Amino acid sequence: MYFAVRHVSVYYDKVRAVSDISLVMDAGDVIAIIGANGAGKTTTLRAVTGLAPVASGEIWFDGHRIDRLRPDRIVGLGISMVPEGRHVFPFMSVGDNLLMGAFARRDRRAIEQDVERVFARFPRLKERRRQQAGTLSGGEQQMLAIGRALMARPKLLLMDEPSLGLAPHLVREIARAILAVNREEKVAVVLVEQNSRMALKVSTRAYVLETGQVALEGRSADLLNNEQVRRLYLGG
Amino acid sequence: MNYALIALGITLIFAIMGVLNFAHGQMYVLGGFVTYYVYGVFGLNYFVALAASAVTVACVGLVFERFLFRRVLRITTREESTMLLAAGTALLLDSLGLALFGEKQRGVAPVVAGVYEIFGAFVPASRALIFVLAGGLVGALLLFIQYTRPGRALRAIAQDKETAALQGVDIDRYSALGFALGAALAGLAGGLLVTVFAVNAGAGTPISIKAFIMIMIGGAGVVSGAILGAFVLGFSEALGYFFIPGSTTYLMILVGLIVFLIFRPQGIMGKPWG
Ligand SMILES: Nc1ncnc2c1ncn2[C@@H]1O[C@H](COP(=O)(O)OP(=O)(O)OP(=O)(O)O)[C@@H](O)[C@H]1O
Ligand SMILES: [Mg+2]
Repeated sequence: MYFAVRHVSVYYDKVRAVSDISLVMDAGDVIAIIGANGAGKTTTLRAVTGLAPVASGEIWFDGHRIDRLRPDRIVGLGISMVPEGRHVFPFMSVGDNLLMGAFARRDRRAIEQDVERVFARFPRLKERRRQQAGTLSGGEQQMLAIGRALMARPKLLLMDEPSLGLAPHLVREIARAILAVNREEKVAVVLVEQNSRMALKVSTRAYVLETGQVALEGRSADLLNNEQVRRLYLGG
Repeated sequence: MNYALIALGITLIFAIMGVLNFAHGQMYVLGGFVTYYVYGVFGLNYFVALAASAVTVACVGLVFERFLFRRVLRITTREESTMLLAAGTALLLDSLGLALFGEKQRGVAPVVAGVYEIFGAFVPASRALIFVLAGGLVGALLLFIQYTRPGRALRAIAQDKETAALQGVDIDRYSALGFALGAALAGLAGGLLVTVFAVNAGAGTPISIKAFIMIMIGGAGVVSGAILGAFVLGFSEALGYFFIPGSTTYLMILVGLIVFLIFRPQGIMGKPWG
């Protein structure tokens, strides 16, 4: 399996935030993780990126076991993350934020080309390339966070609630960008969302988390029609 | 300019590690002594002595970071712990300095002889030299932080440590770099100023306090604030000593600072980091 989380548990101090979670995905796929507030979605992604210590279980990516690696080593293997709440570097220019995304790379020429590619994908960032990222609008910051993650040339992109707090037309724009990135750059995507409808439409398979455990998993199209999912996560 | 070096050093450490380096003045004194020995006693080239000051103090900074601060920051999130540790390192360096170098005031001969006349004022050439050197170093540091890959990494850590790690920055390594660099700046400032004011082993604490004043004026952790704070303090001192006799100057500066902080506790540039 290309990417696999096997029986992973994560604790904050003594409190278990994620217990015995397993996920799998193929190269080039898009999977979604949905669930209510506090279900453990962010914690799962933090475990994958090495920010949260994995108490038990294993995480495998592209033939490497990564659950004991430091975050910077995991980035080097080709996993990048668009964190919840964007987390652009607020007092850095848009351009420098993008360069930070390419920090693990050394190929200067290609990095410059990739900056232009991000600008082609998100033209609004180009107009603001010298502006401090903290002064961008929410939608622009989200685009910057996605662009920054792409600058690492990831093989796997983890996105934590990219639609959070965005107006409906921006949510559609972000959804289109996710699909475009997946197809054009051949990047596998794990999409964590509260906007379950969007997530299920964009992904091929999905996991539903409840109180730190996988409550349901399956093809996204099936989950869209699942009675329980409709009632709990799609508003009827 | 020298004040700017001191203020930038302590700012760098504070911004990267969240540690207020109480030992900054002691590091400055150590830098002064290294230059005193290498240049004043052994008679080597002044620039060799400066480099030796920078490297020695950077190593001290590295050891502190690696074996003390990194550990303490890992096991606790309480700010008092690092504050106490920082105060401890200051005392440690103070007593080590006393033991190694004695209580004597140590100065060195001017690096270059002669006097320039600038706008009607007479400036000794050696003072002009250290002014230019300090200015060059401040400029080089700012360019480094603004335009190089490691400089970007340092800024990223200061703004958002976890997100910096997510971009592939090895936090431990770059924190060590930031600490060493900040310490080196203190050492350089000591090596520069020992040619004008002599140093002695007890001179560290007042320098640390001046460094704190500067970053409080400017706003802690902000590069532009550090430079501004340095100039404000430098000018207040100069004005104070010119118009008011004796030691009242510092009393005035401190009172002024307290009043200022009441109205603007975050300093002039006070944002978390810039
Ligand atoms: N830093 C932390 N310290 C202690 N507990 C935490 C921490 N972060 C998260 N938790 C707890 O872990 C559980 C899972 O949180 P997590 O952030 O993973 O949820 P989530 O599914 O991402 O929620 P949301 O949709 O609100 O982002 C929650 O009960 C939360 O309170
Ligand atoms: Mg979350």
